[in-house]
Amino acid sequence: MSPVSNVKIDKILVSIIGRALKAFTDEMSLCMEKTTRSPILCEAKDFVTGLYDAEGRMLEQTENLPILSFSLSPVCEHIAKKFAGNIFPGDVFFHNDVFSLGNQNNDVAAFKPIFHGEILVGWAAAKGHMADIGGNVRGGYNPNATEVWQEALRIPAVKVVERGVLREDVWDLIFANVRLDIVQEDMRAEIGACTVGERLLNGLIDKYGLDVFEAHKLALFEASRKMMLAEIRSIPNGTYSGEGMVYFDGKHPGSEFTIRVKITVEDEEVLFDYSDTDAQTKGFVNGTYTSSASATLLTFLQMVNPDIPHNHGMTEPIRMIIPEGTLLNAAYPAATTFGNHLCPPNADAIIRALAPVIPERVTAGWNNLLCSLSSGEDPRKGDAYVDILFMGLKGGSGAMCDCDGYDHIGMIDASGGLLDQDYEMFEQQTPHTLIEHEYLTDSAGAGEFRGGLGVRTLYKVGSDDTQIVTFGDGDVEGAFGLFGGGDGGLNLIELRQP
Amino acid sequence: MSYKIGIDVGGTFTDLYLWSPDGELQSHKTLSTPKDPSVGVLTGIEQLGETKGLSLAQFAPQLGTIVHGTTVTTNATLTRGGAKTGLLTTRGVRDALEMRRGVREEQYNNRFTNVEPLVPRALRCGIGGRLDSTGAEIEALSEREVLEALEFFKAEGVEAIAICFMNSFANPAHEAAAAELVRKQMPDAYLSVSSQLLPTVRFYNRISTTVLNAYVGPILENYLSSLTGRLADAGFDGVLHVMQSNGGVAPPEVARERPATTLLSGPAGGPGAAVACSRPLDYNSAIVVDMGGTSFDASLVQDGEAAMYNESDIERLRIALPMLAITTIGAGGGSIGWIDDGGLLRMGPESAGALPGPACYGRGGTRPACTDANVVLGYLDPAFFAGGKMELDAEAATTAVLEHVGKPLDMDAEAAAAGMYRMINANMAHGVREITVKRGLDPREFPMVVAGGAGSLHACMIARELDMPTLIVPQTASILCAAGMLYSDLRHDFVRSYVTRLGSIDRARLDGLIGEMLKEGEGQLKAEGVAADRIERQVFFDLRYMKQYHEVTVSVPPGTATPDSLDAACTAFHAEHDRLYGYELQKEGTELELINVRVRVTGVTDKPSPPKFPEGQADASGALKGSRRAFLPESDCFGDIAVYDGHKLRPGNLFSGPALIERIDTTILVSESYAAEVDIHGSYVLRQKGGQQ
Repeated sequence: MSPVSNVKIDKILVSIIGRALKAFTDEMSLCMEKTTRSPILCEAKDFVTGLYDAEGRMLEQTENLPILSFSLSPVCEHIAKKFAGNIFPGDVFFHNDVFSLGNQNNDVAAFKPIFHGEILVGWAAAKGHMADIGGNVRGGYNPNATEVWQEALRIPAVKVVERGVLREDVWDLIFANVRLDIVQEDMRAEIGACTVGERLLNGLIDKYGLDVFEAHKLALFEASRKMMLAEIRSIPNGTYSGEGMVYFDGKHPGSEFTIRVKITVEDEEVLFDYSDTDAQTKGFVNGTYTSSASATLLTFLQMVNPDIPHNHGMTEPIRMIIPEGTLLNAAYPAATTFGNHLCPPNADAIIRALAPVIPERVTAGWNNLLCSLSSGEDPRKGDAYVDILFMGLKGGSGAMCDCDGYDHIGMIDASGGLLDQDYEMFEQQTPHTLIEHEYLTDSAGAGEFRGGLGVRTLYKVGSDDTQIVTFGDGDVEGAFGLFGGGDGGLNLIELRQP
Repeated sequence: MSYKIGIDVGGTFTDLYLWSPDGELQSHKTLSTPKDPSVGVLTGIEQLGETKGLSLAQFAPQLGTIVHGTTVTTNATLTRGGAKTGLLTTRGVRDALEMRRGVREEQYNNRFTNVEPLVPRALRCGIGGRLDSTGAEIEALSEREVLEALEFFKAEGVEAIAICFMNSFANPAHEAAAAELVRKQMPDAYLSVSSQLLPTVRFYNRISTTVLNAYVGPILENYLSSLTGRLADAGFDGVLHVMQSNGGVAPPEVARERPATTLLSGPAGGPGAAVACSRPLDYNSAIVVDMGGTSFDASLVQDGEAAMYNESDIERLRIALPMLAITTIGAGGGSIGWIDDGGLLRMGPESAGALPGPACYGRGGTRPACTDANVVLGYLDPAFFAGGKMELDAEAATTAVLEHVGKPLDMDAEAAAAGMYRMINANMAHGVREITVKRGLDPREFPMVVAGGAGSLHACMIARELDMPTLIVPQTASILCAAGMLYSDLRHDFVRSYVTRLGSIDRARLDGLIGEMLKEGEGQLKAEGVAADRIERQVFFDLRYMKQYHEVTVSVPPGTATPDSLDAACTAFHAEHDRLYGYELQKEGTELELINVRVRVTGVTDKPSPPKFPEGQADASGALKGSRRAFLPESDCFGDIAVYDGHKLRPGNLFSGPALIERIDTTILVSESYAAEVDIHGSYVLRQKGGQQ
């Protein structure tokens, strides 16, 4: 890397480069939204795009669903080290492996190194939730899994394109283990988004020169770091503890687990220590290091100034201890597909810990996810259908000390980024008839400021061979109230026979 | 032959553009009268008459056509000043309107609240009765429940009613029956029926659009009554046309039926004017930028037509009628510069507005706005702002910039102002980029047409950022939308949903739908006095690959759905999909699905030819006012800049940047790498030096 110490910092250029990087990752995101095929990606926007420096440090991200956002930087760093000396212009790497910093098996990422001339200057990455990634069951959610191979094909960092040439053997090996053809298309879309990011970042470096870019990048990190430090400084020093409950590991009815966090704030640093969290389960209700770290970050980011530019500097003052073998960081070769959905109880623990300290910045508890997925043959078309009932799985956010919760935006890890299917498109694309989808009266916790409302969704099943899969929580413990506010209602799925 | 006027009513000014029988074109500006905008309109007309030596009573009868752009519906939506509206919808889904599919646009901001729905829950009534996805009745409409709801609406003093039932796009019977009851029970209420306004699949789009239409209906109706009344009193007996969001015009009767089509009535004139001023330079496409006091709009002309979106959002409310594609960002002359907690400079979105306004206005503003930076940079002459009508306080501008931006960044006022200027230009450049990238276009292939008073100081640097070689600042820049109204045609859009695989399409049904829409449109145009040989017809299909979620709209040659035109649509779809999204699946044989059929009819109007001035010499020294110290943005330093009097420049005059061109209504910066030339129509054309053109 060229020395940057002699470059004079133009403070205005720092702002301008920051603004440009945001536009670039947005453009990568637009590319994903418009070119992917699976509705999980193009409709629900369950993906993230980002740019990173040569060492894998985050330059900027567009985080549509934040829960998968904060594992890209660590994996980027991992690839840069693992392939050091073996990274060339035109390479593309794939990765999903949860035991080398992936967050969830189905969240498969593409990484493309960005070279400016001969010099590696950064990485472009895109990651989305793939409709299938092999394993025992279609779609990946396998409550019977006890080890990773029953859940998915593991893709440790692997080079699928070298110097612009597709490694067909590697490509075929991967996709021979995936059920649905659209996954190949969606991974091509990820590569496309990375190529867009590569071109844009190179254009920026061409314009200002590499030395200037490198120096101003560091200044940009520093500005974000300062903003985060200011936020942390405003929290009184001390150690604060909180708990969140996880019910049922998918195998043992009545089983319960506790997430315990100790948050230590010392001047300009905050440490989230999960050492006292319960041990991992024998089922698939287990977190991975980066899914849990993402959950921690996205919860904390909702308690600070939302204007902080998302880059390495923002995350630098935030430290975490998530010991291997706990529920939040299961040891190899545990099953972990449900890990992203441990975000809500993790958020509960953090909110409970910090509520007494920064009451004006926390929300009360959020509604947890309870999901149902129906599939079968549409008798009108003689064709298979699959539907995730997005409109039915979203409850409300917790209230704050001075404003109501937001109705029907889902669990905290979606935070309003996941859209309902349109009712009439639902009736076009499934054989079901929607009978009711309305706010559920009194479902929110009561108080001076109420929580966000949940919904009641009722539909008439229209196929004969229907299979309905359900998973999730919020059926034992509702969203909790704070400062005297009431709790939210419980989640419920009911099947009525005519 | 008689006079024709384009009138664009904005928040501060009412802009007028007059086309006289002798071909002369004339711009005029007068203050708006927000309480009843028709007062300002009449004042403007009267003032224009005076320039001809005519009293209002003499002038008004000579007006053949008035084309009018209004923001009354937009303002009613923004300020929640619309009619008290009741909603009749299907039992069980009355909250769809408020849920907006469960979105929260700012994910990390827990104090971000939902938009207030245009109809409160108590006035959203679920009615028994149900159609299935093909339009077949599952349960009969409960007329009793409709009547009960109407009793309640009457008691509540409801002024407008929206009707939107599930699957009514496939069968309007239930909505028609309910509408009949409304007409009987509440004949004075404004009525908006979804299957008439927007018979397309997607419930949320339809219910939101129908409610918006009802909500602004009485507002537009009152306004148009007031306007037509005043015009008639003045002796006007010509044709009044209202500018619609689709870039076409419609008579008041049609606008009253579909008031939601006027939500972008104001800016919709821009692209038409851009075509008129770029065509003489052999362009058929353009990017139009309009920088005002609080916001910056970018829109697009492609192949001579304004680019449209079939779905857009207004203040986070969905409207699914064809509207001008426009990207708006919070960057204007009033945008405030500030330093964030990380020590970085930001511009906007907060704006000083008209009050207190930028610090240099001397109305009590102390925080630095973009206009203050432009004063510090020497771009605006404090003594010649608005042609000298308003003196600017340069000292106040310098103090504001220094205190709030300079000191925190450890810079002097000039460096700080230069930073503000660079930053807001970068923001606007990303706005322009967004509108092209979303359509898979390359901004470098377009000229930039500059509108609005504030934009011309920034346009060069936006264009340079995007590598756009040509800019056009028309004489009418400060009233571009009013001018565009004189270049607009009568235009009506229709749409019907027909969800089917293309392989199993029923041609007779498709022909029937297209024929029905064409008949309605042609009938409408005939009633508006359009001769048959001036009617143009366009047919569009919304298509997608099977199991995709987003459609691509492609146009097919007019005529009915012959096998040829369907094939042409498919070919066009694959090509457009590839252009927009980088791939197509023709070879793979992936089947296509039709969702909507659209028809657009256009009645071509007479248009003025742009004014021509005698061509002169390249030497522009006759217009040179002198020079002053100002910021050279490409060299990043201050220097002497030549200042030209824009009103004295003549066609053929050619000079190199850096230079400033001062006019009463705008000041244009020609940066170092651009040269300016005045074309035969008086437009200032700025071209990158050493470029191809």
